[in-house]
Amino acid sequence: MDRLSGFFLLLICGLGIPVALFSASYAEHYTRANWKWYWSLVALFILSMVLVVVASTIFAFMVGWELMTLLSAGLILIEGDGEDRRRSLFLYLVMMHAGAAAVFASFLLFVPYAPALTLAAMRAAAGSLPAHLRVVIFLLSFAGFGMKAGLVPLHFWLPKAHGIAPSPVSALMSAVMLKIAIYGFIRLTFDILGTPQIWWGYLIVVVGIVTAVLGILYALAEHTLKRLLAYSSVENIGLIFVALGLALIFEARGLPILAALSLTAALFHTLNHALFKGLLFLGAGAVKHTTGTLDIEELGGLLPRLPGIGISFLIGCAAIAGLPLLNGFVSEWLIFKSLLHGSVLEPDPAVPLLIGAVALTSALACACFVKLYGITFLGRPRSDAAKYVVAAPENMNLALVMIAAACILFGVHPGVALHPLSVLAGTMIPNPTSPPEIASISRMMPLVAAAIALLVIVVLLLRKPASRSVNTWACGLPGLTGRMQYTATSFSKPLRSVFAAVYRPERKMDLEPPDEPYFPVNISYRSVRTTSFEKTLYRPIVDGVVAVARQLRRLHTGNIQTYLLYIFLVILSLLVVLRFA
Amino acid sequence: MMGFVINIVQMLLLVLAAPLLRGIISKLKAWIQKRQGASVWRPYANLWKLFHKEELVPNTATLIFRSAPVVAFAATVVAAAFLPVLHPAAFLTLDGDIFLFVYLLAIGRFAMSLGALDGGSSFGGMGSSREALVAALAEAPLFLVLTALAILARTGSLSEIAAWTIRQNFFDVSTVHLLALAALAIVAVAETGRIPVDNPTTHLELTMIHEAMVLEYSGPSLALIEWSQAIKLNLLATLMIGLFAPWGMSLTVTPLGLAAALGTYALKLACLVIGLAVVESSVAKLRMYAVPDFLRVASALAILAVIFTAITKR
Repeated sequence: MDRLSGFFLLLICGLGIPVALFSASYAEHYTRANWKWYWSLVALFILSMVLVVVASTIFAFMVGWELMTLLSAGLILIEGDGEDRRRSLFLYLVMMHAGAAAVFASFLLFVPYAPALTLAAMRAAAGSLPAHLRVVIFLLSFAGFGMKAGLVPLHFWLPKAHGIAPSPVSALMSAVMLKIAIYGFIRLTFDILGTPQIWWGYLIVVVGIVTAVLGILYALAEHTLKRLLAYSSVENIGLIFVALGLALIFEARGLPILAALSLTAALFHTLNHALFKGLLFLGAGAVKHTTGTLDIEELGGLLPRLPGIGISFLIGCAAIAGLPLLNGFVSEWLIFKSLLHGSVLEPDPAVPLLIGAVALTSALACACFVKLYGITFLGRPRSDAAKYVVAAPENMNLALVMIAAACILFGVHPGVALHPLSVLAGTMIPNPTSPPEIASISRMMPLVAAAIALLVIVVLLLRKPASRSVNTWACGLPGLTGRMQYTATSFSKPLRSVFAAVYRPERKMDLEPPDEPYFPVNISYRSVRTTSFEKTLYRPIVDGVVAVARQLRRLHTGNIQTYLLYIFLVILSLLVVLRFA
Repeated sequence: MMGFVINIVQMLLLVLAAPLLRGIISKLKAWIQKRQGASVWRPYANLWKLFHKEELVPNTATLIFRSAPVVAFAATVVAAAFLPVLHPAAFLTLDGDIFLFVYLLAIGRFAMSLGALDGGSSFGGMGSSREALVAALAEAPLFLVLTALAILARTGSLSEIAAWTIRQNFFDVSTVHLLALAALAIVAVAETGRIPVDNPTTHLELTMIHEAMVLEYSGPSLALIEWSQAIKLNLLATLMIGLFAPWGMSLTVTPLGLAAALGTYALKLACLVIGLAVVESSVAKLRMYAVPDFLRVASALAILAVIFTAITKR
């Protein structure tokens, strides 16, 4: 156990408390059997994550790692096992096992050099590894942990799996389980391998930024609460990897203070994302619990009906949009500051351009969460489901308020988290001093918060409190209805049309009869909002695997004599090999 | 001590003189259009009137609706504390405040977009959605411009950048500065909702962006919104002056120096304002879907500015 494990342990258990509190109300609607399954699997799921971060041997690490996947898969099955759900789950398991194989392979490559497969022995052996092996280990771990973290293009299982899990489990998966992959990556690359090469950093930064931009663009087009949040997790993971990549670049260039700054930024963003994404997923669970739907086009006007949930959810949205006075801003600022340091040092323009890309990401995140919050919680209800909601249980309110309070604390007074994190970063990178930014932002944020609070109070005291409630202006016509409001689709339309090259929407209109376009009898219209590139990317791979499997099937004739022949041939060839080898 | 007082004075100047700047722009536009025009003090009278009016709140609105203008106003005023005006220092400074400054303005936008959706009418959603489009596309060039200048000045603080620029020779204008200035001008027009991106005086559904967002507001809340909008215009104009033409700022704290600094600041502001009035009177507003192209130009210029820092530097 060192500071790194301690930090992630805090993350797991810290988020475990509100999740458990929330689950107490959430699991009420389960049948008795499912209720038992739920609680035992959630507890084991949290324990399996604990096992990964406290493991000192590779065996324990891999057992925890695999259990984490399997237990979360079990939890997904609690809420039904329809065809769609099973397909998503299968995808999840396939991707996770591929990732686990890569991670395991990267550990096994240490075998000839380390006396035992413990973290300590591997750290000691890292120096004696040949250079090409270090590269292979790095690439394997990047692919393996990246798969678990949901880096583009290995991300597409993520919205599927996180979207269908029970909401508290989605919260754990998005807020904590993805972070375990970050833990693994930091542990292997920074702690065990050390002395990185500069291109490792560039590779990670580029993959990270692509992940961030695409993640948020997909989130913007998504209108199912939990899938939107899952895509936004992809974005945030991208940002964390940008910071990690910068840390590797700085470390490789021999700039330990800047490396410590970037690593602190990555760790703080990890913490922050765990907080606000946990909050938002639990909030989504509360919305589902009280209204019965997760489709934001059906919602609206929830804030007066669910005040506790509504206010905490707003804080989560503002935090994830990176607004100052909340925790998301501080970590984004640290990332910007690392990038700026990189830009001043670098003679090449690639690093400063990243600032533009991160700014684009954060502006899109702002738009995305205005959409999410405004459409879901403000305005008029768009359906009866949103109109007649059951009150949210106190447990749920309390769980959300707890996390929201942490978001405000780390935003207004980031020093409480940043100082310990910079010490932690110092243990990962040889001999740095604490970066000056940690102290300066820790001093600045309380000042800004005080100034804004003071101004708000002054204005509220001076403003005439009286107001009269009137009907919303409806251009002189009687009555507006919920259906006349902007929807999530119409809200995101301008941005979707600007980024049409990414979304590649499909629209198809058929007129019947086709030879009389001006007097159609029948018009059919079909549109797909986004077609993601995974289809084109993965289809050939899947087709290839299936084709190979089909060829291999020819071996299985079903004829016992043939199988005996196979066995005979194998034994014969083994004998030949052993004779001459 | 004296420096501290000046910091406060310049921040108050940005906040309190903002409506005057708006009045002057309207007056200039009126003159260009051969009209008499209202007095330059008219925006103050307007604010006074609105602050004393009764406020009408839509019946669907929640607490978000009435708190949004207050939050937006507070965040905009605090953003003013980071700008150097009369001398190259500010009330609040931080190495990296270029990012904080932009994000403080984003608070206002976030709050107002939610306030607009809270009204429950289609206009609010329309305004909010369009504002999101403009903001999302303007943010990247704004950050790139600030980064380009930060790279040249090797500091991430607005005041320090101004201080560095003062030490340079005016006639050594670098390509980076020209490109960045052009990009920032476009971004400033977009961010403050002026023609050709948005028309602050229109109420036509097809074109309005910011006005659609604030359509439901009245009374004191509307006054706060109008005032914050005026401050924002003032902030971006002052940002352009501080980053690209800070010469004339007083380096020593003497009454004469400060008077000269105030004079040159007013002169530079006047130049910007005349430019804006001429553009607003002679250019038609862009179609909604041409705005992204306009902002793409800004992004391209900003990217070039950043690339040129790598070439011109060292």
